Amino acid sequence: MPEAQANIRVRPLDELDIGAIVRIDERITGIYRPEVWEQRVGYYLRRDPEACRVAEADGKVVGFMLADLRAGEFGLEEPGGWIERFGIDPDWRGRDLGRLLFEAIVAHLKAAGAASVRTLADRGDTRITGFLQKLGFAPSPLQALEIRLAQPPGEQRR
Amino acid sequence: MKVHEITLEKKYHDAVEHWRRHNFKDYELLLENWDRYFPTDERFCLCAKLELGTSDQVQVGEHRGEKKRVAPDELTEEEARHLLGIIRAQASTEFGSIQQHSGTLERAHDDQDRFWVLRVMAEELRHGYQMIHLLLSQDWSKASGGVTGREMVEEILSMQTGNHVLDAFNLDYDSFLDNITFAALIDRVGKYQLTMQKVCAYRPMADSMPPMLREEAFHLAAGVIPLRRWAKRAAAGDPFITMTAIQHAVNKWLPRGLEMFGDERGGETNVKFGFKDMKNREAQDLYLEEVRRMIRDINARFLRARFPEIGAEQAEQVLADLERNRGAHRGVRHDDLLRLPDRRFFRRKGEPAFAMVGVDGEAFTDVEEYLRHLAKNLNEGYVASRDMRNYAEALRGVAAGTLAVADAVKKMPKLKRVGGTCPCSKGVRWVMEEGEGAPGAPASGAGA
Repeated sequence: MPEAQANIRVRPLDELDIGAIVRIDERITGIYRPEVWEQRVGYYLRRDPEACRVAEADGKVVGFMLADLRAGEFGLEEPGGWIERFGIDPDWRGRDLGRLLFEAIVAHLKAAGAASVRTLADRGDTRITGFLQKLGFAPSPLQALEIRLAQPPGEQRR
Repeated sequence: MKVHEITLEKKYHDAVEHWRRHNFKDYELLLENWDRYFPTDERFCLCAKLELGTSDQVQVGEHRGEKKRVAPDELTEEEARHLLGIIRAQASTEFGSIQQHSGTLERAHDDQDRFWVLRVMAEELRHGYQMIHLLLSQDWSKASGGVTGREMVEEILSMQTGNHVLDAFNLDYDSFLDNITFAALIDRVGKYQLTMQKVCAYRPMADSMPPMLREEAFHLAAGVIPLRRWAKRAAAGDPFITMTAIQHAVNKWLPRGLEMFGDERGGETNVKFGFKDMKNREAQDLYLEEVRRMIRDINARFLRARFPEIGAEQAEQVLADLERNRGAHRGVRHDDLLRLPDRRFFRRKGEPAFAMVGVDGEAFTDVEEYLRHLAKNLNEGYVASRDMRNYAEALRGVAAGTLAVADAVKKMPKLKRVGGTCPCSKGVRWVMEEGEGAPGAPASGAGA
C-alpha cells in the first residue's frame, strides 16, 4: 500500500507521462494499449497541455485527467471545457486525487474563458457517475443520442 | 489565458513569408491538410502572441519586486545588450530548426510523423516571428551598437545551417531519425529556456513565453511518440529500425543540447538581471534527469513489445536488473537498450570542452582511439560530415598541445553566408570565424 503521507503534486500533462497513463489504464481495464494513449496524449498536448493534469505521489504519476476547451460544436458557441478521460491508480483511490485534478483543470478552463464543463459517462457505471456527481456534475439539458448502424453481412464490427 | 495576437508591419511580415517560401516549401501543404491531421484544432496563425494578465513585477534578481520593464530604455545598457543577445539567439534557433527539418522531412516513415513535424516547423516559424516582433517593436539602438531593427532582422533571415548562433542548429540531419530525436532532445532544451524566461524582467519577453510553451509541449510529443513507436518496431525485429540507430542519434544531439544551456559555470548574469530564474548548471541538471526519464520510458516500451506477456511491473523490474547488472534478459542485452550518454561525452563547449570522455564516462588518453570510439557511437552519415572532420582536427590540436581549448572552440569553422539577404542567392562559403566568443559561449543559451 502507498505511504499515507505521500507528497502529492498536481501538474500539467507532458509527453513523458504516456508510460504512466498506460500503466494506470492497464491496472484499471486490464488492457495494455500504448498506441491508444500515444494518440490521445498527442492530441491533448497539441491543443492545450495545461488543460490536462496528472497527479504525482512522491514523483510517481498515479492519476490523470484529460480535458480541453471547445467552442462552436453542436451549436454550442460559448466556450466550454470537456473532460474526456481520467483515471486514478486503484492503490491511490479514496484520497481525493480526482477532485484535485478536477479543480486544477476547472481553474485553468475558467481562466481560458469556459462557462461550463461537460463530460459524457455511461449511466450504468455508478462508480464513475457517483464520482462526477460528487464533483458537482448534474444531468445536462443536452442529451447524448446514438443510432446503431447495421453492418453489411459478413463484416465484423471491430 | 488571454492572448493578444499581433501582425508585423507589412514589409517585415512579407520578409518572413519570403524566407518561408525558400526554406519551408511544404508550408502550404500543411495548411491544406491541417483539418485532416489536426481536426478541430485552431488554424495556424503566423503572428506574434502575447499572454495577457501576467505578473508585472520582477520575480528574481537584483530588481526583484520592482515593476517589470516594458522598453529597452528602461534597462541599463548592459542589461539591454545581454537581453538582445538572448532574443537574437532565440530567433536564430527558431529559423535554424526549420532549415534543418526540411532536409530530411521527405524521408518520414509515415504521413502522420511527417505532418507532425510540419506543424512543429510552422510553430517554430511563429516563434521566430515572435522574436522579430520583440526586436522591431522597440528601439534597441542603445544595445545594438547602432544596428537597426531592420538590419537585425535581415541578419537573422539570412542565416543558413552552419552560421546560426548555437551549434545544435548548425548540424545537418542525416535521416528522419534526426528530425524526431532533435524534437525530443533539442526542443526539450527550448522548453527549459522558455520556462526560465517566463519570469523575464522585460515584460514583452515574459509575455511571449506562455503561448510558445504551449506549442512546445507538442513539439516534444512529436519527437517522443514516434521514438516510442520506433522502439516497438525495433523490438519486433524491424531490420530498418534499431535501438542502436536511435542511440547514435541521441549521442549526436545530446552533447549539443547540453551546450545550449551555456557554460556550466555561467548563467549568473541572467538571474541577476532577472531574465531567467535558473543558472546554467542547475537547468542542465534538471534537463538531464528528464532525458533519463525519457530514455527509461522508451526502453520500457521496447521491453513490453519484445515480451508481450510481461506486465508493467515486471518490465520495470527487468529494466532495473539490466541497468544494474549490465547483463542480459532472455536475449535482450543491456547494450540493446538506450542509455543516457555521459554529460561530458563529445563536448566541444562548456566545462568539459574537448575532454575525451566516452559514452559511458570512460576516459581516453589517445586521440585516435577516442575518434574511433566516436565513429563507433555515431551514425555513419554524421561521422563522414565536415563537422566531424573539423572537430577531429581541433581535437588533435588540443591533444597535441598545439591548440588551447579556448582557441579550439573558436576555430570550429562554420558555413557562413556572405552577400545579400535573400537565401536564394546561395552566397555561402566556408570561413573561419575570427575571435568569436570564448569556450562555452554564449553564456546565455536559447532553444527552439
